[in-house]
Amino acid sequence: MSGADPTTEQIPAQNELPATPTMAEIVRPPRSSTSTWPLIDRLCYGLCWATGIALCMIALAIVVFMFVKGISYLRPSLFIHSPAPSLHQSQSGGFLDPIVGTLIIAAIGTLIAAPTGVALAVWLSEYGRPAWLARAVESAIEMISGAPSIVLAIFGLLIFSQGFLSFLSQPAAEGSLGSSFLCAGIIMALLALPLIVASTRAGLSQVPDHMREASYALGKTKATTIRRVLLRAIRPSVASGVVLGLGRIIGDTAIVTVLAGGNLINQANGNVPILSTLRGTGSSLTTYVYENSPAGEGNAHQKAYAAAFVLLVMVLALNALVTRLTGERTARSNWLSRMRPAWIR
Amino acid sequence: MPVGVPNHRRRLRRTGSDKRAEFTLGALAVAVLVLIGLMLITVFVKAWPSFSHNGLAWFGSGGDVDTQLRAMNEVTPLPGHSIYYFRAWSLIWGTLLTTILAVLLALAISVMAAVFLTEFAPAPVRRVLEPVIRLLAGVPSVVYGLIGILALTPWINQHLISNARKKSVDLLVQLNGADLTTATLILTVMITPIMVAIIAGALASVPPSWREGSVALGVNRWRTIYRISLRTARPAIVAAAVLATARALGEAIMLAMVAGGRGFAANPLDGITFLFEPVRPLAATIFQESGAITNGPVSHTIYAMAAVLLVSAAMLSFAGWAAKQPLKRYGIRA
Amino acid sequence: MRVNRTLIVSLILAALLVVPAGALARRLIIGGSTSVLPLAQKLAAAYHKAYPKLATPKVEGGQSDVGISGVASGRFDIGDSSRDPLETDPHGLRFTKIAQDGICVITNKSNALTNMSQQTIVSIFTGSISDWSEVPGAKITGPIDLFDRDGASGTQDAFQHIFLGEELKVSPKATPESSNGLEQSSVGSDQQAIGFVSFAYTGGVNAVGYQGIPCTLRNAKSGQYGGVRNFWMVTKGAPKGATAKFLQWVTSGNKTTKSIINSSWIAIH
Repeated sequence: MSGADPTTEQIPAQNELPATPTMAEIVRPPRSSTSTWPLIDRLCYGLCWATGIALCMIALAIVVFMFVKGISYLRPSLFIHSPAPSLHQSQSGGFLDPIVGTLIIAAIGTLIAAPTGVALAVWLSEYGRPAWLARAVESAIEMISGAPSIVLAIFGLLIFSQGFLSFLSQPAAEGSLGSSFLCAGIIMALLALPLIVASTRAGLSQVPDHMREASYALGKTKATTIRRVLLRAIRPSVASGVVLGLGRIIGDTAIVTVLAGGNLINQANGNVPILSTLRGTGSSLTTYVYENSPAGEGNAHQKAYAAAFVLLVMVLALNALVTRLTGERTARSNWLSRMRPAWIR
Repeated sequence: MPVGVPNHRRRLRRTGSDKRAEFTLGALAVAVLVLIGLMLITVFVKAWPSFSHNGLAWFGSGGDVDTQLRAMNEVTPLPGHSIYYFRAWSLIWGTLLTTILAVLLALAISVMAAVFLTEFAPAPVRRVLEPVIRLLAGVPSVVYGLIGILALTPWINQHLISNARKKSVDLLVQLNGADLTTATLILTVMITPIMVAIIAGALASVPPSWREGSVALGVNRWRTIYRISLRTARPAIVAAAVLATARALGEAIMLAMVAGGRGFAANPLDGITFLFEPVRPLAATIFQESGAITNGPVSHTIYAMAAVLLVSAAMLSFAGWAAKQPLKRYGIRA
Repeated sequence: MRVNRTLIVSLILAALLVVPAGALARRLIIGGSTSVLPLAQKLAAAYHKAYPKLATPKVEGGQSDVGISGVASGRFDIGDSSRDPLETDPHGLRFTKIAQDGICVITNKSNALTNMSQQTIVSIFTGSISDWSEVPGAKITGPIDLFDRDGASGTQDAFQHIFLGEELKVSPKATPESSNGLEQSSVGSDQQAIGFVSFAYTGGVNAVGYQGIPCTLRNAKSGQYGGVRNFWMVTKGAPKGATAKFLQWVTSGNKTTKSIINSSWIAIH
């Protein structure tokens, strides 16, 4: 690397290895101009630059467009009023109910998916006997992750319309209505499950074996090891998996439209304080955006933009959370901040 | 393990709590498996009447899909056919068109953009772009649909579709800005960020010594990247493509807003007009008809479409697994 | 001990979920036509105000056919329909007329046609005329963008029966929209568009007169405007219990219901 001829240099003694050159000492080779490259290489190089710049511009354009439109239509009163069911949506009403709806569905979905996902991941990577069962469970989870959410939604509608599940929503003339926050939340858990399982398994596989062995050496059983040692060690992975699942839940429209009723206002079902809301129907921010866009009934695109802006802010917050949860571990996990080798410019 | 148990007996003796834990977790796994299996079985059972009445012709073409769905909704069979009569080809063709075009476009863009981001981009650009791309990857599809239907569709209708073009297909279909182009463009924008993230992550993980070796042999930068980094990142590219295709297949809301909603099989022989013809992908159709799920024939048809989507997703995962197998030969861990 | 405590807590939660289910007085579920939707929502809210002890009925959309099949399958207690009953409807349903409504043909505001004859409407919507230059009185030129309603819509049925007659159907190449609101916004944003909506949705678009009579609520109430159709509420068999109470209140012609219905529709009781 330093240009010295290796055949004439004396082989250094074991404890006299040459010092590793520091950053300052590395002589950067002159950057080769692309004029010496063949035409096809120059074309590809130029194309990469063009695509990269184009991607930057489009990405920034979308983000700036959404932010500008959103902020211009966002008013504080939108946060405290419920949607008003009138033919002229642009006149009144806000999105308090959809925000509450989003939070409720996200909470139910995550509360169901997180323990289930972690338990599944632990079983898959720590136990996993018999092997055919483990492969079947893995395939099933992969199938769920690839299934469109609308398919999960109609499946949920089918299941929850059965009479014996009417306690989850409300009874109808025959069977049950099948639409409520609880129903939507349960199916949302299916959406988040693969992400949590994958993230937890990745975390578990990165825990070095000697931690487990040390715990066994101290006389702990496998169950205790998992509970006390491993689950504590993989907390960041589980947290980032949960946040990723949360992001997917918040962004889904199909399940909410089909399974949480078609109204914009949250209507509770009964008199029991919290349960009646959970059993009632309502909307979330995503269905609110859909209904107010030209594709829905409302035709009030100002409110659609404002609600979309709130959604974007939520996604931003979740992304920042994921970065904080995983960024502290290694810088390498941040795929773009990885240092390029200094000699490649 | 309790102290004092000889080594050769350690593996055989599991304590009670261990066995309980394994049993509970195993039971949970079986329960989830049963639930998912139940979902598959239910979807296929409910889809069966539609397939049995139509046979393999279900996938073929014959008549207007919208008219057939309307007839089912009104419980009035079309003359000469049963109430289940359905020919889904225009929907399948619409799905294939939007998905394949969007994935090909996104693949090309993502690979080049990922290379740009990891190799060529100056540091400030990278610092700004990384959170932006992660934000875009997480944006809900309904927001993309909103942008499409409010900004892109009217623009295409006014500037790209001339009156002459509308007249040329007037007898068959109307062009109004919500069409194949809008759908493909927005779908591409939706799936590119996640692909860029995956491919760039793989490119950044290429062992530096491999590239150093290539440079040491005098290969120029672009060739190094192309021959070494991109080749090493092939499993990630395959994984990204599979993920993006699955997402594009299952996208219902955004496509219901911008793809045109008209079950018309866009005809490539129409030339440029082909790009502006409306399409109606399968998932969007399911979403639009899901209100009528209580109606017998309509619900069977909807479940038939859902079954087709599930089978395609399964075949896609299998294809992804199969595509990675040859790469394992070189020790490239997928 | 910890495991036992979690078990007990979850059992209590599950009990809480199941037990009150039986003790609830059930809300009525009304669903169906998007044309009847705003009327049904207002009626439901006023019903709850008049009888605060009873829960507000839950009103959903869908379309007329969805409402009818929903009642037949037991999903809805009351179905809304904006078209008259057909022989192909499921048996055993009872249709109760609650109001009347008008359908207006609409065009974009930049193409403010004031009147169209039945002949013109038939030719446009069946596709025989496809350019605005062939339409007398049109303010623009270019191809006509037809907007229709999709499969399950009662408004579409009613439009076909009233304006096109028994035999003719809207041209299949028209763009189907799934609600009045969507139809209204599509026509409002496309200069060359023409479509049809219920009275209540004529804001922001130009309502075209039919056979010389402007499409207004007053003309419909006086009987001069020809494009009037019925709103029905459908039940499975004779209405019973809470359903009967609601329907009785709606059709009783009391002051509240009359003022609600007369705001954008035509009261008949």
